[in-house]
Amino acid sequence: MAFSSLPTGTLLMAACYGAGALSSLLARWSGRLALGVGHLAALAGAVAGLGVSLGVLLGEPGRTLTQPLPDLFPFARLSLAVDGLSAFFLLVISLVAIAAAIYGPAYLRAHSPGAGPARQAAQVLALNVFLGCMAFVVCAGDALTFLLCWEGMTLASYVLVVSDDRNGENARAGLLYMVMAHGGTALLLVAFLALTERAGAFDFAALRAAAGDLDSMTRTTLFFLALGGFATKAGVIPLHVWLPRAHPAAPSHVSALMSGVMLKVAIYGILRFAFDLLAPVAGPLPPSWGWTVLVLGTTSAVLGVLYALQQHDLKRLLAFHSVENIGIILIGVGLAMILWRRESAGGALATVALTAALLHTVNHAAFKGLLFLAAGSVLCRTHVRNMEELGGLARRMPWTAGLFLLGAVAISALPPLNGFVSEWLTFQALLGGASRFHGPAGLVIVFSAAMLALTGGLAAACFAKAFGVTFLGRPRTSHAEHATEAPASMIAGMAWLAALCVALGVAPGYAMRLLDAPTAGLLHGPAASAVVTAKGPLVLSTALMAPGTDGTAISMTIVAALLIALAAMAWVLRRGLRSSPPRTAPTWTCGMSPTARFDYTATAFAKPLRLVFAALYRPRRAVIRETAGTPYVLRRIHYAGVVVDLSETQIYHRVQRGITVLSRTIRLRSTGRIHGYIGFVLGALFVALLLFGVGQK
Amino acid sequence: MTGERELGLVLLEMILLVLLGPLVTGIIQKLKARLQCRQGATILQPYRDLAKLFRKGTVQADTASGFFRSIPVLVLAATVAAGALVPVLRAGPPAFPLGDALMLLGLLALARFLTAVGAFDAGGAFGGMGASREMTIAPLVEPVLMMVVFSTAVAAGTTELGALAAHRGTPWILAWRAADFLGFAAMLVLLPAETGRIPVDNPDTHLELTMLHEGMLLEHSGPGLGCMVLASHTRQIVTLGLVAALFFPIAADGAGAADLLLGAGAFAAKILVLAIFLALVESSYAKLRLFRVPQYLGIGFVCALTALALRIL
Repeated sequence: MAFSSLPTGTLLMAACYGAGALSSLLARWSGRLALGVGHLAALAGAVAGLGVSLGVLLGEPGRTLTQPLPDLFPFARLSLAVDGLSAFFLLVISLVAIAAAIYGPAYLRAHSPGAGPARQAAQVLALNVFLGCMAFVVCAGDALTFLLCWEGMTLASYVLVVSDDRNGENARAGLLYMVMAHGGTALLLVAFLALTERAGAFDFAALRAAAGDLDSMTRTTLFFLALGGFATKAGVIPLHVWLPRAHPAAPSHVSALMSGVMLKVAIYGILRFAFDLLAPVAGPLPPSWGWTVLVLGTTSAVLGVLYALQQHDLKRLLAFHSVENIGIILIGVGLAMILWRRESAGGALATVALTAALLHTVNHAAFKGLLFLAAGSVLCRTHVRNMEELGGLARRMPWTAGLFLLGAVAISALPPLNGFVSEWLTFQALLGGASRFHGPAGLVIVFSAAMLALTGGLAAACFAKAFGVTFLGRPRTSHAEHATEAPASMIAGMAWLAALCVALGVAPGYAMRLLDAPTAGLLHGPAASAVVTAKGPLVLSTALMAPGTDGTAISMTIVAALLIALAAMAWVLRRGLRSSPPRTAPTWTCGMSPTARFDYTATAFAKPLRLVFAALYRPRRAVIRETAGTPYVLRRIHYAGVVVDLSETQIYHRVQRGITVLSRTIRLRSTGRIHGYIGFVLGALFVALLLFGVGQK
Repeated sequence: MTGERELGLVLLEMILLVLLGPLVTGIIQKLKARLQCRQGATILQPYRDLAKLFRKGTVQADTASGFFRSIPVLVLAATVAAGALVPVLRAGPPAFPLGDALMLLGLLALARFLTAVGAFDAGGAFGGMGASREMTIAPLVEPVLMMVVFSTAVAAGTTELGALAAHRGTPWILAWRAADFLGFAAMLVLLPAETGRIPVDNPDTHLELTMLHEGMLLEHSGPGLGCMVLASHTRQIVTLGLVAALFFPIAADGAGAADLLLGAGAFAAKILVLAIFLALVESSYAKLRLFRVPQYLGIGFVCALTALALRIL
């Protein structure tokens, strides 16, 4: 697609999502028809988005295409501006949206067959608005379009969160999501308005120019305001509390979109603010920015995976892993911020760090989307999210199980799949950073690398648990026992993302071409493929030291080929020298008849790590024994264990208590007399005027 | 600096590691037996065990899914692939890019992950218990191992093991600094954990109270078990080879037959020394309680962090 056809592409995309939203009207006649048409339109919109993004990414580098929008407001000109960064995130959104649109209709029909047409209409409308708003947030060319689409994205996803099952838990999750998201949006609003007020216009070019002559204090304050706003949306610890509640509550393909894509829009925002809007004209970014992001990312990665380990709700576990992966992305982003324009080696290392972050962005979208869709298949066939009540599904849902295993290997950063590639790049960037910064700074970077290694190991433990308990062994309940394989269209949606995981893992060099435009455009330095795939498309290489010294080069393709060849040889060995058919026999259970109660549970699996990290989890348990007369004969035993989220108990509960105390105090002062209230209003007005007067001076 | 290693050499080294893996186990077993004043089996016993396993039929748990049969295949393939990344006969990067130390650790982690997943499939409590313990220890070992690798990689500027060894060269062994001593100390602490030996794990027992790795193999049988056992022999020699490449990069420079023989002799000597170390540790210490292991690994973490700090500061 040539550049000139970009307006057509965006128009087509908007038209498709718009048509999808309108198709909810069809639910008057048939809910099924509305679901089908709505998702088909979303699919068309996603394909159009893919076309637009590929057109920009593979086209002439370094060009930004702007497209004015109709004037809706007298005070601001709305426009779209698609550059490399926008196009890359549009690509990520479109890739997952394609899978979600293929998967969606069958899932919604199978998961909630009793849903009325009103609910189906709402879901179709919200899904299309959600996708459209996400696509246009990253394409926005001015602050107003950005904020409007941002808000639309939040509201539409809220509708989807509360739409699935009408119960109190979902409603509470939705409310918490709304409150947190709007807190974040408020911070963004302040940051944007401070810039627009200086620029006197809303478009990004004017904001960029206005930010050029900011003093460093204001610049840093604005950055931290924006970071706070975006971090809330991205679910960075300690602003993550809404995420593990809201993401599982939504229908599974929407969970895939929220976890895989919506969080990435916040990453887009951070990158846009740090490297583009607020970046100084020349010279490096203030050091406090990058270090903050690096530390936040490291914390999120480790704590996210640690909390995920103790979750037994399949979708909640996946939601916590999103916190972890956002952390890994932010490690790369933070490192790029630290290194940008600060190193003598020509900026290659900052490019490596940013490449790692962007690659992990698309990788996480692929494998997390896949895992959420597979969890959705389990959910719609068993109606159970607690993995302790599942088990034995690999024999009943072989495709879903295989695809989940693939996603699990990918997310645990194990070769030869895509998770390993981006973590390898992150490690290389960290190592390079550590060898450049001497002293405490280098030590922080190295510590962050060690934490990243810990994160990978814990993620592998977590997914061994999630896959083993859910899919292997014996079914623990009749829900699991009577499960059947998911419909073909759902498997097709998953297979699309699985193919992406494999392709990005085995031949990542080709994806680097797509990262050229965002890295070169953002850092004004060397492009991703020039740095990382300098030795050919099948080889990834980085130089830790100054250029010229021996770098490190690996080839995922050759390793994958080696693995396949060795597996074929091992398969021959596995058949053995005696070609007798395998016998089957029951598992030895110490002489008792084997039942599902012999299977190791998820709680038991995670127990050693719960004790090792007890300082963090503060685990509590209550065991109630019912004995029959003597303590030696147990009739029943009841176990309940809880693990706390430290940021929840240490921060949010305190804030909540503070608000309660404050509102009690206010209630004591509210006498019910109108004069008193008028007095308060006058007092508030006086203080406001006073502050305004001070500010004017 | 030595030259590059050709494809044939890399494959030869990989095959050599797989073939010699059981021998290292045999030597350690023999040494242990002699230290305990027993005669012990011959050092070729592991080969006989493997030959017997590959001749036997398979019994599979009735609850196991289709994944169960492919687990040993994949575990063996991943472990052997890791073996291709270790320089054995000569230092120097492979002539074509393959993988570095991070890839090696990743492949070993893949093998471990698949073993743990397979342990769930039979539906017995022992498998799950073994998997749970193994996956508790592994995430604690991995970051420390990574830091030891980083402490040498920061000095050499690459994480590719062959290039790392070549960069340092043989004379470097005489110029060990404090960071090297500390890194090596951390590595010695980690070795028993990574090879599944006392004081972290006990390879000779099938008691549910003590086992980690063996617990996951209980339900495998016949050639499948053979693959898993061969994989753990290979894993052991690969780990020892990693230590040798990081800390004793002694190798002949040339590519002639005599140089390769010299390299092979040097490698055998290095592995033998480390095997004797493992046997000594295993004979003189008791297995730690599972919840003591994190503290034990903490020693390694402190050593590795200090080594890294000394390199960077």
